[in-house]
Amino acid sequence: MTWQWAVRDLMRHRTRTALSLLGVAIATALLFDMVLLSGGIERSFGQLLLSRGFQLRVSPRGTLPFDTEATMDSVTQLVAALRREPGVAQVGAVLGTSAFAIRAGRLTPLVVYGVTPEAQGIYQLDRGADLSATDTAGVLVGAPAAVRLRIGIGDTIRLAGRLDPRIATAATERRVTVRGTVRFVYDAKDQPSIAVALPLAQRLTGKDGKNRASFLMVRVADGVATDSVTARLRISHPATSINSIADMMAQFRLRLSYFRQLSLILGSIALIVTVLLVGTLLAIAVNERIGEIAALRAIGVSRLTVLRQIVLEGMLLTIVGGILGVLLGAATAKWLDSILTSFPGLPAAISFFVADAGQLTFAGITLLLTGLLAGVFPAWRAASTPIAATLRSDAP
Amino acid sequence: MRPVIVATNVAKRYHLDGQDVHAVRDVSLAVLQGEYLAVVGPSGSGKSTLLTLFGGLDQPTSGAIALLGRPLQGMPDRALTRLRLEKIGFVFQRFHLLPVLTARENVELPMAEAGLSRGARNARARELLDYVGMSHRLAHRATQLSGGEMQRIAIARALANRPELLLADEPTGELDAATGREILSLFRRLHVDGMTLVVVTHDDRLAADAQRVIHMLDGRVVG
Repeated sequence: MTWQWAVRDLMRHRTRTALSLLGVAIATALLFDMVLLSGGIERSFGQLLLSRGFQLRVSPRGTLPFDTEATMDSVTQLVAALRREPGVAQVGAVLGTSAFAIRAGRLTPLVVYGVTPEAQGIYQLDRGADLSATDTAGVLVGAPAAVRLRIGIGDTIRLAGRLDPRIATAATERRVTVRGTVRFVYDAKDQPSIAVALPLAQRLTGKDGKNRASFLMVRVADGVATDSVTARLRISHPATSINSIADMMAQFRLRLSYFRQLSLILGSIALIVTVLLVGTLLAIAVNERIGEIAALRAIGVSRLTVLRQIVLEGMLLTIVGGILGVLLGAATAKWLDSILTSFPGLPAAISFFVADAGQLTFAGITLLLTGLLAGVFPAWRAASTPIAATLRSDAP
Repeated sequence: MRPVIVATNVAKRYHLDGQDVHAVRDVSLAVLQGEYLAVVGPSGSGKSTLLTLFGGLDQPTSGAIALLGRPLQGMPDRALTRLRLEKIGFVFQRFHLLPVLTARENVELPMAEAGLSRGARNARARELLDYVGMSHRLAHRATQLSGGEMQRIAIARALANRPELLLADEPTGELDAATGREILSLFRRLHVDGMTLVVVTHDDRLAADAQRVIHMLDGRVVG
């Protein structure tokens, strides 16, 4: 009877209850989105960094991969030295540069990744064949570049590096054949990228690119602790920055700390709004029903029953509003994510709103406790009603 | 006959709008088991206050009240609530049924509070609604009932846990004459069945039906 009674009490004023539910739903949607946002991009970034299985990045001292245009020299020697290190399973170099594709007399700017094909962690082959280390006549294209150039596997394009726009003459030009199509893991949406063997990318860069790379990717052998390898490499290669996923995540976390602060503030506001909404509704309901409550106490209904009944109404509002809020929050998170991830320069695979079971459980419990808290004061007031005085004032 | 209520020099004073109100002054009386007592007097004479003191809804400022041999003074709220639930039935002028519950659910409420099983509650509620002539209305909500019907349901609710004492405050006050007569006859039947009744009333017919009538004026029993 308790639940039925609570539901029917709430249904006495349908419009008022509906508006309160809407308020709780909006507050919950805000809380839900803030929980997803607070750690979402960080989790998404972490998943992205680990998606190809390389735990370490070696970059020019004081930099992070893709953070500057700085490059490292003597890369062949550095890669060889790293491969000799105990605990290191694989090392691949990546040189990021730009070039133009010349096709049907048109110049199309492209992002070019020079890679060590047997140890690369920046793309996933979709169709066709991968490059080989010595294949300087092959190219892998991402979908945006393929669409823009209208090319497919087996087609040929001319790549021009270091183009002088004033005289439209390239210092380096190379004809390459499309070997396969790939998905670049770290690319922004619609970024026209291609991958070539490292030596070709170095040649397209010109003399500045000789034996150089933007960063190296290191895979730690199975069963070996990443931290110990990181520490050892930092000592043996002091001229470089050895970045573990944890280091990069820490940097990332630092840069996005405002997201967490914003989430915390807005999430807290959502909880406060919930307390105020539910608490106000229950306080009004108790005021309206105070004579009824005094009569219940008179016929022997305990304080605990009265307290439980009012708290239950608060919990019901919170639970139903919360369920509606999660649905609303999921829809708005999807919409907001599509807006935020369309910002230029962000990897397309990044999501700002990522669910974490632990955090969501915590938020859910916090919301329930909030509903409970909101009901406690009106419920205590109801349970403490002076019976005789209330009945006297309620008498005609 | 054992006494159900024993009041000794009971007084009740409360503060209202900056003034001390002496609602009950030096009342001593005993109500015996099976007795039908009517308390009459003009408005503000202290009748209803005396009823709330008998029912343990309030504490006297001075004096002592014993209910079924148990002194009410100093009794913890939990014990008082339990006593009201199990030993006293209350009937109010304004019925005070829960409008969101059906007639049957209203009658079942004190039994649920007392911990009776669903089946036992249901059977007893049907039996009581039949007793007050409301078995045809058991699925109707209080808001769908007339004043007289609501009061009969309220009486059924008051009898739910087989109390030893029924306290009624102006039970016919909100009813028309014909409906009042129905309630009157119900009270008469309860008395015949052995219930101890204390009824506060302005209704001369109701008072005339009682075994004993006490008159109150300015908080005192005057006759």
